[in-house]
Amino acid sequence: MISRRRFLSCGLALLAGLFSPGLKSPWCAAFPQFFFSQIKYRGGEWDPNPQFVDAIVEELELRTSIKAASERRVISVDDPALFFSPFLYLAGKHEFDPFTAQEREILRRFLTYGGFLFAEDTLGARGSGFDQAFNREMKQIFPQHPLKRLPPEHPVYRSFYLVDSPGGRQGVNPFLEGIILDNWTPVIYSQNDLSGAWSKDRFGKWVYDCLPGGEPQRASAFKAGINIIVYSLTSDYKKDLVHHPFIQRRQNQ
Amino acid sequence: MNWSEIVFKPVFPLWLILVFLAGGVAFSLFQPRFVRRRLSRQRWGTIILLRLVTVTLLILLALNPSWVARREVAVSPTLAILLDTSPSMGLSSNSGKRSRLDEARALLLEGSKPLLKYLAEKFEVRLYELGESLKAIKPGDLPGLKTGEKKGDLPGAIERLAGNNSLALLCSDGKLEWRESSSSNLPIFTLPLGDPEKYKDILIKTVKAPALAFRGREVTIDVAVKGYGYPGLKLPVALKEGEKLITAKDLRLDDRTGEGTVSVSFTPPEVGSHTLSVSIPSQLEESVTSNNLATFSLKVVRDKIRVLMITGAPSMNYRFLRMALKNDPSIDLLSFVILRTPSNILNVPLQEQSLIPFPVETLFGKEMKSFDILVFDNFVHHPYFRANYLESVRDFVQGGGSLAIIGGPNFYGEGGFIGTAIEEILPVRWAGREGYRRSPFRVKLTRNGSVHPLTRLSMLEGENRNLWEEMPPLDGVNPLRSKSSGTVLLESADENAWPILTLGNYGKGRVSVLATDSAWKWYMGTVAQGKGPWAYQRLTERWVRWLAQDPSLDPIQLIFPERGGTIGQEMEVRIRVHVDALFAKSREAVSISVFNPEGTKIESQLKPGGQNGEFLASFRPEKVGTYKVKVETQGGQREESLFIGRSSETLDGFPHHEQLRKISDSTGGKILTARDAIIDELEQYGEKSRKRFIEESRFPLWGNAYVFIVLISLLTVEWYLRRRWGLI
Repeated sequence: MISRRRFLSCGLALLAGLFSPGLKSPWCAAFPQFFFSQIKYRGGEWDPNPQFVDAIVEELELRTSIKAASERRVISVDDPALFFSPFLYLAGKHEFDPFTAQEREILRRFLTYGGFLFAEDTLGARGSGFDQAFNREMKQIFPQHPLKRLPPEHPVYRSFYLVDSPGGRQGVNPFLEGIILDNWTPVIYSQNDLSGAWSKDRFGKWVYDCLPGGEPQRASAFKAGINIIVYSLTSDYKKDLVHHPFIQRRQNQ
Repeated sequence: MNWSEIVFKPVFPLWLILVFLAGGVAFSLFQPRFVRRRLSRQRWGTIILLRLVTVTLLILLALNPSWVARREVAVSPTLAILLDTSPSMGLSSNSGKRSRLDEARALLLEGSKPLLKYLAEKFEVRLYELGESLKAIKPGDLPGLKTGEKKGDLPGAIERLAGNNSLALLCSDGKLEWRESSSSNLPIFTLPLGDPEKYKDILIKTVKAPALAFRGREVTIDVAVKGYGYPGLKLPVALKEGEKLITAKDLRLDDRTGEGTVSVSFTPPEVGSHTLSVSIPSQLEESVTSNNLATFSLKVVRDKIRVLMITGAPSMNYRFLRMALKNDPSIDLLSFVILRTPSNILNVPLQEQSLIPFPVETLFGKEMKSFDILVFDNFVHHPYFRANYLESVRDFVQGGGSLAIIGGPNFYGEGGFIGTAIEEILPVRWAGREGYRRSPFRVKLTRNGSVHPLTRLSMLEGENRNLWEEMPPLDGVNPLRSKSSGTVLLESADENAWPILTLGNYGKGRVSVLATDSAWKWYMGTVAQGKGPWAYQRLTERWVRWLAQDPSLDPIQLIFPERGGTIGQEMEVRIRVHVDALFAKSREAVSISVFNPEGTKIESQLKPGGQNGEFLASFRPEKVGTYKVKVETQGGQREESLFIGRSSETLDGFPHHEQLRKISDSTGGKILTARDAIIDELEQYGEKSRKRFIEESRFPLWGNAYVFIVLISLLTVEWYLRRRWGLI
């Protein structure tokens, strides 16, 4: 039976929700556990999809318990705030200038000790300038750990949704790539332009069509995005044994 | 045989005496010649005579003659009678009615002619009580003599008696301290007490149990039993904790040796120090029943610390904490992250979700007790918990489990834990209606925090303080205030001094509140500074171990001797106290109280140990049972229990006559079994060892006042005569 206290607080929360869309119930208090920190690099085009944040953050808050900030913070690699970024985002279409040795060392340290980077080639074609530059930098930072295709049992495919294919604006690869260090994947890389699929203009219209799959491909991009964000905050939580029978059963359905 | 003689012991050299003699005679003869004309022949002859007598007397005085009388004297040999008062001497003798000590007393004091009286005629008898130390007693003390708590120390006694006694008679059952290598010139005759043939007893000889056991893992305890007079007997061996039977197993004693072994196994369900006992039922005609029970301590620790963490939402705090806990092989982590709340909307069918139901009923029902630590990480309980689950959590803590609360926006969601069973056990209260404050702040150590092992990341106090000062700022805090029962280790370094890390105890369990969800920044912040993340990892490890009640993380630690203790022996307890350096050396900073099994405070001593914050306490237990040792400091108190058992002496009361034979053989004595044999043997040996010596008495003949008076008289007479005869 609902308590008097809870009844009143729910009622007040509902009223607050009606008259002030910005306010939420107490357990939805707007203290962000998540925000995007986008790397601004030299050369190339560091911000190919400037309107990607709102839709994915809205989706994230609607579907999950994560409290996210809808602003993104733009930082350079040598910014001390980088180490306090829960989710580092690197995107581009074209080749960019090589990082300096100091920048590479910062990224190596950040990623080795638990930081997370989601990078994507937004051109939508294999072997683009960004793809080559990003691979070059990763080889420099982690020479012993190449970028490789993440296997279907990787926790990023099951951290929230059960995802077969990451979707995106372009269906370049039906998988994600990553650099795996022990049980943690600090770098996840996509060439499908997920942020392109998430981008909405200020009138609420999608900026790009998703090809060739259309809206289902966009929906997959959102699912993949949410999974990547949840993975960045929970690591290999979904590999815990307690989840196995449930996931197995659903995958067999 | 007697004889006597006169001997001279001149006081001057003989030549000098002869010179005196010659001078004296010459003077006596020649001097009167000068007055011969004035005196008659008779008168000067008288003077010469007087002078010669005087000189003769003086010479005799100088020769110092003495009369010496000598006689041969025979001395009675000294016999030391040692009465063993070891604990086994209190056991019943072969008659079954009297103790072995009674038997010895009867032999010495009873009968038509008591042995002690008879021996006193032949020997100079000295009586001793042989207990932990040797003590001289009088015959009148014999009736009141009692057995002690420790084995008699025979080598020590011999050391004291040898040289002053001719021989010794030891009345004992052989259960005393003796070293094969011990030897002495004091012959020891032994009088065996107790009858090995009729002795019946079953005793637990050894109990082999590991010092440390793991909760939930089977422990095997090996028990060795020895039986006297019960060949082939089948016995049940019971393992108990207090009065509660844990398990029992049968054992059969060997027909020939009377020995048997059995292994009993059990799985300790709870951590902590357990006092267990192995026991065998008493048998018919058994001499000693107290040795059918053996008590021992078993410390049960966790094999793995089981942690159940419920996280309100995916977060960096969760990920870094999970990473730290997963990397610790001694921790078994089961975590549940609330990935969606009731207000979230799912847009896909079930088969496309990886979400699993939160098994709240299972976890907070029957399964909760299988965990050691429960963590609520930024968790709002209302949507998932029924009120009785929170009561279960409270009971879980009261029963010895631990609860850790990690703050965050959800901590205060819908009033948080206010008005629930959890509020009662928390060491903090809410400071107002503000649930969470998002603004950067630094933390600092409190006075308690600077010495508490949990926040002591470095052994050096200055370095530890610097480490915490260099920690990066956090960016969210739940405004709280500490209850009086709480110990704040970290607080915000601003004017509010919000408690950030607060510890508390509730019942047998522990509670900690970390009033922020951004502690992960301590990890990445130190990485950003170019250091490793060890400070965060060490803090997490210590935090878990403190919650798991690891004694090494207690601010007050009591270290008992590994071998336990026995009554009568001084017990030493090492105390380690994490106190402020200013007080570390001060004895006033720490006080100790020791309570015996009846709850009475007994005398104890406390002195500083070798290192800062280390103390050495000691006490002497006089009774069997569980003693409580309570240490109080300015920062808190700690109480631990210690079981004190009987000395091993009483465990095996079988008369050890073979040992008495060895004692006699190695010292040149004999083992004597009958009263007549004792008298014959002792008399025979006493006669051989009887000592004789010549007693000499010396009487000086001239060294007395009479000689002096005679001399003075002679000179006076001469002076008188000379005056009368007109020579003066």
